[in-house]
Amino acid sequence: MKKESRRPCLSGQRKKWLLLLIPLMLAGVLNSLAALAVAEVKPAYALVNCRLVPVSSPPIEKGTIIVRDGLIEALGPADRIKLPPDAEVIEAAGLTVYPGLISAHTNLFLEVKEQEQPQTTEDFLGTYTQAATPQQFPELQVFKEIKPKKQTVESWHRVGVTAVVVAPNRGIFQGQSVVLNLNGDRANQMVLKQPWALHINFTTERGGIYPSSLMGTVAFIRQKFYDTVHYALHQKKYLSSPQFLKRPEYDLFLEALVPFVVDKRPVVFQCNNQEDIKRALRLIDEFKLNAVLTGCNEAWRAVEHLKKVRVPLLVTLDFRPPATSIYNQQGEAARKKAEAEIYPANAAALLKENIPLALTGFGLSESSFVKNLQAALRAGLLPEAALRALTIEPARILGLERQLGTLEPGKIANLILTRGDLFGEKTRVVKVLVDGILFNYEEKGQ
Amino acid sequence: MKKPTRTSIFILVLISLLAGPANRLLAAGNLLIKNATILPVTGPPINGGDVLVIDGIIKQVGRNLTAPPGTRIIEASGKYLIPGIIDTHTHLALSGTNEGTEAITPEVNMAEVINPDDPAILTALSGGVTMVHTMHGSANVIGGVNVVLKMKWGQPSEKLVVREAYPTLKFALGENVKQSNRMLLPGRPQRYPATRMGANAIIRRELLRARDYMAEWERYEKLRSSKNPPPNLLPPKKDLRLETLSDLLRGKLYARCHAYVATEMVEFLNLAREFGFKIGAFEHAWEAYKITDELLAAGVGISVFIDSWAYKMEAAEGIAYNAAYCTKRGILVSINSDSSERVRRLFNEAGKAVKYGLTPDEALKLITINAARQLGVDRLVGSIEVGKQADLALFNEHPMSAYTRCDLTIIEGEVYFDREKLLLEREAAAARKGGN
Repeated sequence: MKKESRRPCLSGQRKKWLLLLIPLMLAGVLNSLAALAVAEVKPAYALVNCRLVPVSSPPIEKGTIIVRDGLIEALGPADRIKLPPDAEVIEAAGLTVYPGLISAHTNLFLEVKEQEQPQTTEDFLGTYTQAATPQQFPELQVFKEIKPKKQTVESWHRVGVTAVVVAPNRGIFQGQSVVLNLNGDRANQMVLKQPWALHINFTTERGGIYPSSLMGTVAFIRQKFYDTVHYALHQKKYLSSPQFLKRPEYDLFLEALVPFVVDKRPVVFQCNNQEDIKRALRLIDEFKLNAVLTGCNEAWRAVEHLKKVRVPLLVTLDFRPPATSIYNQQGEAARKKAEAEIYPANAAALLKENIPLALTGFGLSESSFVKNLQAALRAGLLPEAALRALTIEPARILGLERQLGTLEPGKIANLILTRGDLFGEKTRVVKVLVDGILFNYEEKGQ
Repeated sequence: MKKPTRTSIFILVLISLLAGPANRLLAAGNLLIKNATILPVTGPPINGGDVLVIDGIIKQVGRNLTAPPGTRIIEASGKYLIPGIIDTHTHLALSGTNEGTEAITPEVNMAEVINPDDPAILTALSGGVTMVHTMHGSANVIGGVNVVLKMKWGQPSEKLVVREAYPTLKFALGENVKQSNRMLLPGRPQRYPATRMGANAIIRRELLRARDYMAEWERYEKLRSSKNPPPNLLPPKKDLRLETLSDLLRGKLYARCHAYVATEMVEFLNLAREFGFKIGAFEHAWEAYKITDELLAAGVGISVFIDSWAYKMEAAEGIAYNAAYCTKRGILVSINSDSSERVRRLFNEAGKAVKYGLTPDEALKLITINAARQLGVDRLVGSIEVGKQADLALFNEHPMSAYTRCDLTIIEGEVYFDREKLLLEREAAAARKGGN
């Protein structure tokens, strides 16, 4: 057992050596390029002769885009953009440049804590009779938990994703998420927004502690929200005039909720089925929350409710019907059929009703993300809408629309270069820039 | 008796056929049912009778009725038309049954966890059931707020809820709440209460807390609206648990109390008198026959099984004559299924009451008008009368016969279950499969 648990550590160290080598090699290349420039000047790139899809404006067939210091400096038709003398020119004929895609809900870089299986009866009774502790951590910063890995970063680059939300994934009050730019493996340098939102999931507690049922969970969330409102009011009164007022008892849990419930920072509700959406909307209305719904792969069934509110959705491309779904209760064949034919039409149906949404790869591997995106497109999702739902729409939901989501001067240089149209079935992402850092993914033999 | 059992394979086949085309079955809420033997429940039977439904409401009941052109006509000669069956105690169409971790959980509300995709809804329809009182389980003393649903298969959850019904709160006493039948694991403390005295005491304790809570809020409101409110006046903390219990004490909620033995029921009646709360009905109430005077004096009805007694110690003194005897004594009795399977043959359960002394007409009331009265919806449903909602079920034989079956179930004038059509579709599907 012990040996096995060490093995990943060894390979991890090996990888670290490799990762150290890459910046060294990069530095070498850059030095030779900028031999005449002052050492402080960071690299500039000029991508020339490429097709530009800025998202915020119509495509430019033959364009140039200049990247400097990790930001987009300029872009436009080839004849209108002057190449800076210090820029490394990247010939990109035949390539299309898009803003990097954003997956606004992932659990990347989180270590899966596997529970040890009890081996003996004593062990079993031991785990079963342990006093269960609630799995509630609204104060948890997922940023502190993540261990970015270059390999993961690169595998998402290959499907065009350059920024992600990493959300916590345990308990009802799960903790607070972070927005990362996939520019390497150093967490501090990756942060785009920390913390972003409080994440809440309609799940239950385990081990026989409250709440152990879905209705208990809803009541638990409501009670905590009411407690938070009261706690904040008490604190406010106490701060303004502490005489003749008993001081509020410090509460770490409620303390963590105040910014979200009282100060209206974003709260993300994970909606695993159509009824979760209605549950979340009732809570949002009751407490006037600044909320976002995530998951939502059955959202089209609650479209009448969503039409009445302007709550943005992070719609996963995971098409597996939820456990509550009628399609999940008619046997394997019916479930598979629904997964292949019914759930992929979700996003298209929502957009038909002008529901604001971003698409995410929540719950998916990078290969399923691409495969399922294709399925959504076949099910009626328009390519332009899909592109927006993976770029500017998530940027807006994250409050990062001035930095991310389109190709515009002044924005962060998150670009992807593809051979062929982004949503073509044989399209490959061949180059990626994140924060202006170039990653090459040329096909073999080229 | 709180866990729904698995649906039969037969029903699953029906679902697979109905899931897609569910909406095709629906008419527009306008119907003319012709030449049926109508059992209105609240009036004498009508042979060869017609029922005209407009916009989901029963407009006319009689003979030789005509309908506006375009109205769907259902020929029902030789068949029996009854009001839709109402099940006063089930746990179907829910994503959760018990918040069993604590003894007192009135803050939970079953309306929060309706699952309109539960195939048990179709199971219920196949037995002529159009409305159910779907409840919190009996794992703890004060469970949660229940909800009444119509079995509108294929409709979104909010369209199922019957808002006119009494709001009810689940209580439970006896073996389930004292966890008599639960294996205790070493190292795990037993949950309080572990006795019937404890169950009674914890209810009193919680209701006293609720009284204090109400008084606290009253004091606050008084101070707040006074001429010179204190500068540092802080409202009391909102406590959802005590909010629900306050509503019970204010008479806004009805208690529905799971109880088996006579003594615990009498004790609960005393609690209700002491605290001034209303009891909707006792659930299961196997020993109700011993305390009919007390029940009559309190005006409290019972929702019971017909003849499945002695499945545990506290049911040992149950008798199959309970429902019939209590009915004859003048107590409001309904028969419930408490099961996602038995719900499709609730008419058989009621029919057994004929063996124990009721007339077929009296037996039919146990699952129609009596149930509607217990849920507070008797002015809307529960009988075939002009002005009521057209929740109807069509049977091929007298519904209290052992040989009967439900052929058609209608809610508010819309057909939600059509046996013949389903069987044809099933045959067609089988033929297609065979062709492949």
